Amino acid sequence: MSFGSPYTTLPDFEYHRPTSLEEALGMLRQYGDEAKLMGGGVGLIAFMKERLMSPTHVIDLKEVKEFKLLNNAPGKGLTIGAAVTLSELLEGGMLRKEYTVLHEALAKVADPMIRRRATLVGNLCEAIPWVDSPPALIALDATVAIAGPDGRRNVPVSGFIRGPVDIDLGPSEIVTAIDIPQAKGAQSAFEKFTGGSEFSLASVAVMMSNDGRNRRARVVYGSVNSTPVRSADVEETIGDGITPRSIRKAADLASEKVECVDDVLATAAYRRHLLKVITTKVLKRMIQ
Amino acid sequence: MREISVTVNGRARKRMIKDNELLLDFLRERLEVRSVKAACWRGECGLCTVMLDGHLVKSCLVLAVEADGRVVKTVEGITDDGELAPIQKAFVTHGAAQCGFCTPAWVLATHELLRVNPHPSDVDLVEATSGLVCRCGTYNQIRDAVAEVSAATKVRRLPRESLARA
Repeated sequence: MSFGSPYTTLPDFEYHRPTSLEEALGMLRQYGDEAKLMGGGVGLIAFMKERLMSPTHVIDLKEVKEFKLLNNAPGKGLTIGAAVTLSELLEGGMLRKEYTVLHEALAKVADPMIRRRATLVGNLCEAIPWVDSPPALIALDATVAIAGPDGRRNVPVSGFIRGPVDIDLGPSEIVTAIDIPQAKGAQSAFEKFTGGSEFSLASVAVMMSNDGRNRRARVVYGSVNSTPVRSADVEETIGDGITPRSIRKAADLASEKVECVDDVLATAAYRRHLLKVITTKVLKRMIQ
Repeated sequence: MREISVTVNGRARKRMIKDNELLLDFLRERLEVRSVKAACWRGECGLCTVMLDGHLVKSCLVLAVEADGRVVKTVEGITDDGELAPIQKAFVTHGAAQCGFCTPAWVLATHELLRVNPHPSDVDLVEATSGLVCRCGTYNQIRDAVAEVSAATKVRRLPRESLARA
């Protein structure tokens, strides 16, 4: 079957489909290092085909009841369970108004068929430096809800991603949800440049909050370094308002101050140029 | 090995499978549904696209065991009466297939697009089929086929909220 090529087959494993968090944690305890958690499976199945991962147990989290939770109660912020797919988040434009930056980031991830399977939690947990959801989630001040044998804990997304393919999650822990605080009255937007690549070469997530007294900007750049980078310089520049003048200054500062790296997708110099372009683009769109 | 039962194009099919088997292999090799094509094996070309419980997915990124108890539809199942669907006739009229290898996936995806969005714009079409490739480059002919079916459909555009745009 499958021409016998390693890239078309999966390693041998036993498949498990727990229906409760307790059951899932129990399986993780029992199988330890030999197990891998599966959300949508988009990443895991691809990694297994390339034998980057060869678990002997796959624990599918899609049927865990608690993980299907998608709560967008007015005034309470947003809770996105670990089994919620990108399609479910985009449907009906539920994020478009209050969480625009996340909507715009997710709407351009891969394609509709992959978004139908991929989960936001899975996307985050892969911690690939070039994916778009982390900068948007950090701009929204999102936190990760984690359950383990010792109970539950919450970590900001900014601290959860420690490096490429490196997250703050113990071997016996499971991410149960992503929580996003209410963003009423806020304005946000996302911009990326892919240049035909399947990943972003540079992306930017901007969030301007305004509670009536204080205006505050959060600006996060993705795909330019091993983890998303917040820019205090840019945030300060546009904190008092986005104007043609502050846009020019912000774009220059982004290009000068945000630390970029060379990697297989682009050079640091090219990324610095892109930062200027996408910073200008996203901010101009926000005052149109 | 374990036994799974999947309703494929309206027929309940039971087979023994291995846990590490892909839905793609289950359909092609165990059930011999050969319209589901195996090409890139990594979710990029979209030629293994099927409907799983009413949604388009790439079957090379789904485990067969995940389909247990669920409903799969392939291009063979898009009409019940053995007649061609309007989009299939339009594919023929416009020569929207050259080698034909990707055609089942394109027919399935455009048929589903026209179901949820009877009058798609070019942007809607490009977005809905952004996960599919055609190496012969019949994109223009496919667009013409979709436009023909759209023009022949009297249904008014569905309210925006009801569109499964994602």
